[in-house]
Amino acid sequence: MSNQRQASSASQVPHLSPAELSYLYTSLSLPKNPIRPDGRSPTQFRPLSAETTILPGTNGSARIGFADGTQAIVGVKAEVEKTVLAADTLDSRSLAQHGDALNREGEQGSAAVSGQGEWVQMSIEIPGFRDDDALPVFLSEMMRESLVGSVAGGNGDAVKEMAGGLKGRLVINKRWHWRLYIDVLLLSQPLAYPLPLLSLTTHLALLSTKLPKLKSTGEEDPFFDDDWAAAEYLYPRSNISKSLSAAPSYPVRPPVTLLVISVGDNVIFDPNREEIAVADAVLAISVTRSGDSETLKLLSIRSIDPPSRLTQPGIPNSENVNMLGATAAPGEETGGQEEVEGVWRPRRGGVKRSVIARMVKTVLGKGGVGEEVLEGLEGVEVQ
Amino acid sequence: MASLPPIAIPGQRLGPLSTYSAGPGTHVQQSFIYASIAGPVVADPAQPKSQTRPTLRVSRVISSKDQAGLTSAVPVASSTTSKPRYNTLPAVDSIVLARVTRVQKRQATVSILVVLDESASQPQDQARTASDNDNVASILASAANPENHSSTDELRFQALIRKEDVRAVEKDRVVMDEMFRVGDIVRGSVISLGDQSFYYITTARNDLGVVMARMSRGRSPDRSENMQLFELGPSPCVAFGVLFE
Amino acid sequence: MADRRRINGPPGGTRPPVFASLQESSTGIANRAQRQRQPAELRKIFLKTGLIPTASGSSYLEFEPSVSLAAARSNPKSLIPPSSALKLACTVHGPKPLPRSAAFSPNLVLTTHVKYAPFAARKRKGHIRDASERDLGVHLETALRGAIIAERWPKSGLDITITIIEAEDDRWWGDAPDSHDASWGMMNVLAGCITAASAAIADAHIDCLDLVSGGVAALVSDDSNQSASSAPRLMLDIDPAEHRSILSACVVAYMPARDEITELWLKGDSSRAALEKDDGRTGHEALIDGAVDAARGANTVLAEAVRESIARSFA
Repeated sequence: MSNQRQASSASQVPHLSPAELSYLYTSLSLPKNPIRPDGRSPTQFRPLSAETTILPGTNGSARIGFADGTQAIVGVKAEVEKTVLAADTLDSRSLAQHGDALNREGEQGSAAVSGQGEWVQMSIEIPGFRDDDALPVFLSEMMRESLVGSVAGGNGDAVKEMAGGLKGRLVINKRWHWRLYIDVLLLSQPLAYPLPLLSLTTHLALLSTKLPKLKSTGEEDPFFDDDWAAAEYLYPRSNISKSLSAAPSYPVRPPVTLLVISVGDNVIFDPNREEIAVADAVLAISVTRSGDSETLKLLSIRSIDPPSRLTQPGIPNSENVNMLGATAAPGEETGGQEEVEGVWRPRRGGVKRSVIARMVKTVLGKGGVGEEVLEGLEGVEVQ
Repeated sequence: MASLPPIAIPGQRLGPLSTYSAGPGTHVQQSFIYASIAGPVVADPAQPKSQTRPTLRVSRVISSKDQAGLTSAVPVASSTTSKPRYNTLPAVDSIVLARVTRVQKRQATVSILVVLDESASQPQDQARTASDNDNVASILASAANPENHSSTDELRFQALIRKEDVRAVEKDRVVMDEMFRVGDIVRGSVISLGDQSFYYITTARNDLGVVMARMSRGRSPDRSENMQLFELGPSPCVAFGVLFE
Repeated sequence: MADRRRINGPPGGTRPPVFASLQESSTGIANRAQRQRQPAELRKIFLKTGLIPTASGSSYLEFEPSVSLAAARSNPKSLIPPSSALKLACTVHGPKPLPRSAAFSPNLVLTTHVKYAPFAARKRKGHIRDASERDLGVHLETALRGAIIAERWPKSGLDITITIIEAEDDRWWGDAPDSHDASWGMMNVLAGCITAASAAIADAHIDCLDLVSGGVAALVSDDSNQSASSAPRLMLDIDPAEHRSILSACVVAYMPARDEITELWLKGDSSRAALEKDDGRTGHEALIDGAVDAARGANTVLAEAVRESIARSFA
C-alpha cells in the first residue's frame, strides 16, 4: 500500500543507498557535461523500437519497446455518437430565426465546428496499479489535456481540416460526432517513469488512426463508406502522392510529452529510473508543431513530484558514531544542518523560475530536443 | 546582533548561523536560520561546556519562561481554554507513557499515549511540567478506561517492551505475564526507533515501570513483582495508583 | 441480449431541460458576469485556521464573490447564479503511525485527498472520487511535499483532506462547451487548496520550509468589443465565468522566502500573449510570473492567518 502511495506521484523510489545517490547526483550535476550512468548525452533518448498498425481490430495502433524491455501498446478506437446540444446553441439558433443574431452569428458558425474535450477518452493500464490509482489517472489527464488542448493555427487545406484541433476533427455535423477511445497498455511494471514511453506510443498510434470516409453530407445522419481502403487519416497527410518511398509529412501532429529533469545546473532528458531519483525538479512538457510554421508550440507543463524528496539521507562522518567510536557525542538536536559535500540529503523545496525557463527553452528552441524527437518519430514508417 | 522577532511563521528568517545555532523548529538555508513552524522564538543561552553560540528554537508548547516575552506580542485571551498540542514524535531517549495492549512470552506490546517533553524532566522547568500534568492525567484517565481501548490504538504509535528490557537485574528470570497486564500504564524510555511498525522501549531504570494498574477485586496480588515496580517508581510527574474494579 | 436484471435507461440520449427564463433573457451579453477588477487585482480571500477541533490542523478558505454574483445574491433575477466563488475546508490529521502493512519510511508520508461535495459544482459530483479529483490530489501532494521538511517525521503519515464546498465554474454557465472548454475552474480550485492546506499544516505545527501559497494567471481574450486586434491579455486570479475565452492558464505553488516554485501546472496556448514591446519574456514565462505574483498576494493573507493561529493556540 505504501509502495503504491509513494509511487502515486513520483514513480518508485529505487533502492539506492545515500552514497550511490550522492555519487549519481555529483556526476549528473557536473558543469557543462554531465556524466550519465549509461553514457548518453544530456539530450539523448534511449534507443527504442517502434511499429504501427499492429492491431487489426482498432482504428489505429502502435507499439514501442525500450531496450530495457518495457513495452507499451496503444489502441485507438472510434465510435459515432449523438451530440447533446447545449442550451446555448439551441438558444442562439432560435434567436437567429428571429433575425436577431447580433454578433453571435460568427460564434454559431464556430460552435458547429468546435468539439468537446470529453469526446476523447483516455485510459492507461499499468501492471501493479489499480486503474483508479493516482499514477495512471495523473498520466492520462496529463496526456489528454495536451491532446485536446492543441488547436492548430496557420493556413493550408490540410490545416483547415484540423481547425479546432483534434476536437474539431471529431465533429461530423451538428448532431453527430466521433468519440475517440485511446487505450494505453503498459506490458510490464515500469522501470522508469513511464511518461515518455506512453506519450510516444500514443503519438504514433494517433498518426496511424483512420476514420471511415463519410458519404453523407451536411446535417444528414452519418453514413460511411465501407471500403477501409478509402478511410481517411485522423491526422491528415499532405504529400502521399509525391513518392511512395518518402515519409509522409503531417501539417498537424499530435502532441508529444517529454520528461525533463534538472540536476544542479544541468537539464537532462528522458531520465532513467536512477537519474530521476536524484532530480532537483521534474517537469513534463508537452509540445507540438504548430501548423505550417517551423517553431514548436508549448501546450502544457506539469511539475512532477521528484522521488528524491523521499530518499534516505546520508550521515556525514562528523556525525557518524561508528566512525568516531562510542565517545562521539551525538550531534545536537538537529535544526537542519548545512549540506556537507558528498553526503546525500533528500531534496527540499522547489525550483527556481530561471531553471524552469531554461528547461522549457531547451525543449522549444530551434534545433532543440522537441524538434529532434518529432523528426525521429517521423522516421517511423506509418502504414 | 539583530533583535529576534517574538513570534515566527514558517519561512521567516531568524538570524545568521554565525551568531546562533539552529535548534528544534528551525532549519538552515544558506547560512541563515529560518523558522520552520509557527510559534514563539526562544534563544537558549549557550551552555558553557559544549556550545559557543546560543541556540535558536521555535517552541511548540508554551512555557512560563517563554510566556514573558510572548505576552507583549500576542493578545492573550484566556489561559485556561487552550491546550498544548502533542504532536511530538517519540525519539530515542524520550520518556513516554504507554498502555499495554498485549502480553506475550517474550515481549509486551504497548501503544504510546504521551511523549513527555524532554525538557520537562529538567528541574528548572517545573512550571511547565505542572501544566503538562493536567493533560496527562486526562489522557490516562481515558486510556485506563477499558471502553476506550481498541478504538484509538490505530492512531497511536506502537512499541514493544522486550523481555530483556524490562529490568536491569535478573533479566533471564523475567516472566512477562507477571510484569504486565493488558491495560497497565507504563512509563518507559525509547531505546530505538525500531522497525517499520514498532518502537522499542525499556523500563530498566529506577524511574521507569508500571505506574498505573487496574486490579480485579478478590484476586490475590500475585503480581507482587509488579507491585515492586510500583515502589520503584518515584516518578517526578505522574501520580500512580491501583484502581479497583 | 439486454440485461434483464436491471431497469435500463432509454437507449438514446435525452435532452437536458432548458429553463424558460434562459430562452428569453439570456442573449448572453447582458447577463454575463464582467470582470470589474484590474488585470492585476486579486480577489479578497477569507482564510481562518483551527475551525475543526478534532483535527491536528485545519483551515477554511473562501474567495470573495464577484460583483455580479454579489448583486445576484442580494437581488436575484434568475434562478441561476451568474458565477460561483470558491469555498473549501481543509483538515490535517497526524502525524500518526503508518498502517501496519506499510513499509518503513524515513520520511513523513503525505496523503492528499481532494473531494468535491456533491453539490459543489453546477453538475452534481458523485461520492466516489473521479479522475479530476484524483488529479487535483496529485497536484496538491506535489505542491506540499516540496515545502514540508519530511525527514523530521520518520515512520509517520500525514493525511490532508480537502472538501470543496463550492467550486469555481469552468466557464460561464450559458456558454456552450467550445474549443476552449478545458477545466479552468479546477486551476483556481487547486490554488485555493494549496493556500488552505499550507495554513492547516502550519496550524498542525508540521515543519515547513516556508508557507507555500497558490496563484493563478491566465491569458484571456474578450472579443466582445469586436475589435479584430484583440490579442489575449494577461490577467491574475481569473474567474472563468467572467471571460469569454481563456487561451491558457497557469497555477503555481510558490514559496516567497526562497523564491521557489514547488508545483507548476500550465496549459493552453500561451504563444500569442500581448506583452509590452520591450518585454523580452515569452508567453509562458509571463504567465508563470503572473501566477507567482498572484501567489505572493495570497501569501500575505496566509501569513496573517498563521499569525492568528499562533495567537490562538498560545494565548
